[in-house]
Amino acid sequence: MSTLRYIADNWDTLGPEVRNQLVIVGICMGVSAAVGLALGVAAARSDRVAAVAIAITSTILTIPSFALFGLFTIWLGLGSAPVIAGLILYALLPIVRNTRTGIRAVRPAVIEAARGMGMSPLQVLLRVEIPLAVPVILAGLRQATVMVVAIATVGATVGADDLGRPILAAVGRSTGSYERLLSGVLPVAAIGILADLILAGAERALSRGRITTAAL
Amino acid sequence: MISFEHVGKRYGAGPPAVGDLSFEVSDGEICVLVGPSGCGKTTSLKMINRLVEPTSGTIRIDGRDTATVDVDVLRRGIGYVIQQIGLFPHLTVAENVATVPRLLHWDRRRARARVDELLELVELPAAEFAQRLPGELSGGQQQRVGVARALGADPPILLMDEPFGAVDPISRERLQDELRRLQGVVRKTIVFVTHDIDEAIKLGDRIVLLNVGGVLAQHAAPADLLAHPASPFVESFLGGSRMVRRLGLVQLRGLALTADGGVSPTVAVDIGATLREALDAVLRAPDGRAAVTDAGRMVGVLDTEAIRRAAQ
Repeated sequence: MSTLRYIADNWDTLGPEVRNQLVIVGICMGVSAAVGLALGVAAARSDRVAAVAIAITSTILTIPSFALFGLFTIWLGLGSAPVIAGLILYALLPIVRNTRTGIRAVRPAVIEAARGMGMSPLQVLLRVEIPLAVPVILAGLRQATVMVVAIATVGATVGADDLGRPILAAVGRSTGSYERLLSGVLPVAAIGILADLILAGAERALSRGRITTAAL
Repeated sequence: MISFEHVGKRYGAGPPAVGDLSFEVSDGEICVLVGPSGCGKTTSLKMINRLVEPTSGTIRIDGRDTATVDVDVLRRGIGYVIQQIGLFPHLTVAENVATVPRLLHWDRRRARARVDELLELVELPAAEFAQRLPGELSGGQQQRVGVARALGADPPILLMDEPFGAVDPISRERLQDELRRLQGVVRKTIVFVTHDIDEAIKLGDRIVLLNVGGVLAQHAAPADLLAHPASPFVESFLGGSRMVRRLGLVQLRGLALTADGGVSPTVAVDIGATLREALDAVLRAPDGRAAVTDAGRMVGVLDTEAIRRAAQ
C-alpha cells in the first residue's frame, strides 16, 4: 500500500519516466518489427541468410545490455538514443526466427496454387505467406516486447530518463529504498504484462485458419 | 487450342523428363494426360502455365507462343486445380473463389456476383458456404471450391493435376460425374492429369498416353484407344477386358440398326444408351433380342451379333 502511495506522491517524476519507457519501447519495436520482418523473409527464402542472421542476432543477445548501451554512447551520446539502438538489436532474434518459421510452415500446395493463379512472388508474400504466418510472427513480437520492456530499465545507466531511474536510485540505498525500487518495478511489470496480453489476444484473434505456434 | 510442338524438359544432365512431345488439344475438349509414374504428365501440364519452363520446343495457345506472354498474365487466364487443392486457409470460401477476379481488379459487385454463380455451379450454395473457411469443409467440398476458384475469372483453359487423387473413391466418382456435367455447361478446354486409366477413359474426350521419359505412346479418343492400342505398352497399360470396357463408351445413336424382322422383342433400351446397357438388355431378353426405342418409338432391334459387330 505504501508503494502505491509513494507512486501517487511522486507521479510528477514517475509519469514522464513511464512515458519515456513507452516511447523507447515503442520506437524500438517499430524499427525491430520492420527490420526483423524483412530479415525474416530473407531468412525464409535462403538457408544461408537464415544461418548468418540467426547466428548474429543470437550473439548480440549474449552481450550484456550495459555494455551494448555503453558502446552506442560512443556514437549517440547519453540519453534514450543509445538505449533504443541497443534494444533494436536485442529484439531482432525472436522476430527474425519466428517470421522465418511461420513463412516456412505455409504448405507448398498453397504457394503453388497462388503462383499457378498468377500471383507475383510479392503478391504471394503479402497476400498469402505473411497473412498465414501472422500468429507466429506476433508470438515473436510478443517475446521481443516483453524482453525489451524489462531491459530498457538498464538504459537509465546511460542517461535514459525511464523507469530504470527510480530502480537505479534505490539500489544500494539503506533507507526508503523499498518503495522507490517498487515504484519503478511495478510499472515496468504492468507494461510488460499488458503488452503480453494485448499481443497474445491479437495472436489468438488472428489464429483462425492460420498457422499457430501450437501447430508448429 | 493448345499445341505442344517438340516440347522437351530436361533437368541437369540426366535423361529428359519429357522427350520430344507434340500433340494438340482442341477447344472445348477434355484431354487427359495419363501414364505411369515418371512419364512426365504433370511436368507437361505445368509447362502449359509455365510453372515448369520447357527446355526445348514451343507451347502455343491459340497460336501464340506462351513463352512470349508475361507469366502472371498467362496464368490469370488459365484455371489451375491441384490434388492438394491449396485453398488459402485464412480466407473464406468466397474470398478464395474471388482470388483471380481480385488480381484482375474486378469491381466488388461483379466479383461477388461471379462468386455466387460459381458456388451455385459446383453445388455449394453461397448462402451456406460463402463465409466458411476451407478448414470447415470436407475434402470433396474443398476440391469443389478449388474448381470454382480455378473458374473464377472464366478462363478458357483449365488445368487439372490429379484433382481427385486424394479424395475417397465414392467422392471421386461423384466429382468425376460432376466435372462431366460442369463441362457440359462451361465448355472449357481442359487438360487433366491422372495415373488412373479408368478415370482417363471416363473423363477424356481424347487421351494422351505417355510412357516413361515423356514419350507419346498414343493420342486417341478413349474408344479408339481401347479398340486399337498402338503398342504392347499401351495394351498392357490399358489392362484387361478392353472390349467389354469399350462397350460403355459407344452409344447406340449412330449405329446402323436392323429392322425388327416381324418379331416384337420384350425388352427395350433407349437409343441414348451405350452398347454396355444394350448388351445387358439383350442378355436379359428371353429371345436374345432387345428393341431400341427413340422417345418411346421402336426404331430397330439388337441382338448379340449386332452388338459384337458394333463393338469392333
